[in-house]
Amino acid sequence: MNVAGFLAAQSLNALSQGAILFFIACGLTLIFGIMRIINFAHGGLFMLGAYVGYSTVAWTGSFWASLLFAPLVVGVVGGIFEKVLLARLYARQDSGAYLMVTFGLAIILAETIRLIWGPQPLSVPIPDRLRGIVLIGNQPFPIYRLFLIGMGSAAALLTWQFLERTRAGLLVRAVAQNAEMVHALGTDVSAVRTGVFALGCAMAALGGVLSAPLLTAFLGMGTNVIIDAFVIVIIGGMGSFLGSIIGSVLVAFVQVFGSYYFEDLALAMMYLLMLAILIVRPGGMLGKEE
Amino acid sequence: MKESTQTRLSRRTLVRAASAATAMLASPKLLRIAAAATPIKIGIPTVITGGYAVLGSHVMRTCKLVEKMMGAKGVLGRPIEFLYRDTQGNAADCVRKSQELVERDDCRLIAGVVVSSEARAIMPKLAEWKAFFISHGCGDGLLTTKEFLVPNFFRANTSAPMGARTLALYLKDAPEQNFIALGSDYAWGRSSVGAFEEQIKAVGKNLVDKVFTPVGNKDYSTYITKLIQSGAQGCYLALQGDEARSFFLQATQYELTKRLQLFTEIVAQADIRTFGKDAIGMLGSSRYAFTYDVPENKKFTQAFLAEYKEVPDWTDGEMYQALHILFAAIEKADSIEADKLVPAMENLEVSSVKGPILMRQCDHQGENQGFVVKVAASSKYPEPIPEIVKIYPREMITPDCLSTSYKTTG
Repeated sequence: MNVAGFLAAQSLNALSQGAILFFIACGLTLIFGIMRIINFAHGGLFMLGAYVGYSTVAWTGSFWASLLFAPLVVGVVGGIFEKVLLARLYARQDSGAYLMVTFGLAIILAETIRLIWGPQPLSVPIPDRLRGIVLIGNQPFPIYRLFLIGMGSAAALLTWQFLERTRAGLLVRAVAQNAEMVHALGTDVSAVRTGVFALGCAMAALGGVLSAPLLTAFLGMGTNVIIDAFVIVIIGGMGSFLGSIIGSVLVAFVQVFGSYYFEDLALAMMYLLMLAILIVRPGGMLGKEE
Repeated sequence: MKESTQTRLSRRTLVRAASAATAMLASPKLLRIAAAATPIKIGIPTVITGGYAVLGSHVMRTCKLVEKMMGAKGVLGRPIEFLYRDTQGNAADCVRKSQELVERDDCRLIAGVVVSSEARAIMPKLAEWKAFFISHGCGDGLLTTKEFLVPNFFRANTSAPMGARTLALYLKDAPEQNFIALGSDYAWGRSSVGAFEEQIKAVGKNLVDKVFTPVGNKDYSTYITKLIQSGAQGCYLALQGDEARSFFLQATQYELTKRLQLFTEIVAQADIRTFGKDAIGMLGSSRYAFTYDVPENKKFTQAFLAEYKEVPDWTDGEMYQALHILFAAIEKADSIEADKLVPAMENLEVSSVKGPILMRQCDHQGENQGFVVKVAASSKYPEPIPEIVKIYPREMITPDCLSTSYKTTG
């Protein structure tokens, strides 16, 4: 066995898995950071992204179109949901209400998807130019997974640039720190909240479209991934964008190498990591203790 | 006087006795006429939402078709009514929903349970509920062993050991010598891999490793690496539903089949449809193949195609068979009471969509034939279909009584 090749291939496996996890964890942490809402519907929005992606490919024949259209549709759905339902609950300052409403949305989304697309799994083919493998020290590695790593890296970089280098990003960070002050300065805070919620949903949808060729689009596909995403957000620190990147990569590495070397503990490894980090840093790696 | 009184009393007694006897003789008929209007309720606690929802949807569509095919004629002159409940594949929910069916709906015939752990959870309750449960798809071999079997449970379907046995017999003459097994880490996956290990060793081949993946696992990259590194020429797979589809999609992306041959315990039409042309060449045992050419199966397949415009999957075939057997037992018992159905079901033999089936008395396992299928392109259907390449007789495929093992190696 070529050890270097094996390690490189497994590391790439972890990075590709981390890329998918990042899309969902990033949206979750952005929404929590600015709105203090734990969005239980995020897994459902990830699933909706996969199904809209499937339909886009079926109608247009283009996987690339689905990468644009699915996040757009799901972003709009998320924006409407925030405006119509969540915005009415801000005055209550009751986190329990958000939990119930987003949990309800998750169930409604799952049932709506079942009614529209049916219970059968739906296959989203990989475009021809992303088919095939590269050999890394005699270990095959799919080109599509390299594409996932590229997409994840690009999304992380763009989001970081958006948050750090643009005026809109500055407003987002300001609202996260002190919404009342930003409002007093004449900024429409509710529009910022709606925009961030829609952006978070769109990122989850993008993750869903990118996952579909690996998993098919199927009912329940958001359930497992949302648990992983919550663990990532806790590890990285609630509301920390950089924390979500580090958390996604860490969790993916633990899952990949953990299931290889400690098969019987595969499920527990991620939670052991979370517990270890919380013991050392109760607010997560880059989060603040509140 | 005394005599006269005695005579009068006797007459009165006689009249009373005659009335009572007439009423007694007539009442079953009267009761039956009254009962004819009431449907026979069959409870279907199945997976409507969640990871195995596809299997549950197949159960329900077959029940609806059967209801339509039976029409008003029904069984014992009574129409059939199916009551569906969502268990989400969760054992605790399955117990709760089954109990609701029994206590609230007075429905004591249960079928359509998808997951083996759900079956294990409700089986100990059957006697208390006075309910009868027939399995159409629960594969865990242990369900019909001394440890778990209960009198009111019967399994009509091919179990995991039977699927593994079928493949192992087929692989006896295959060029591959070394195998690795990959199974889902729950009752059915463990049962299937355990049986395959025993059977493949019995035919003189090697199992170099066995790997279990957590339930609900979605990323198989690590496991695919393990399979490649094992040096095995063949891989036995005990995955189904979403897990099987995720694995096959990812295995195709890693071009795994260029390095080792995949053999699966269950070849499902839903998977074939999802993979399209990529499914061609897939080899495995089949619990039910719609291509099996017997009159009962032709009748079912034609009705199914007419109703749903697609071919039946393995769950459809197994569910149809389970209901067929249940109805035959009800007719034989002339009752839907569990205590009368059990003896009627024991040693019951029917010609089903899978050929001749015998419901064994000793462990309530249905003796099924073993089918090996290979997926091939079809000019008749819009998707590839499973072509039967070998059929093994039921005596060779069904394990020893109350066991998951086989005395003979085949």
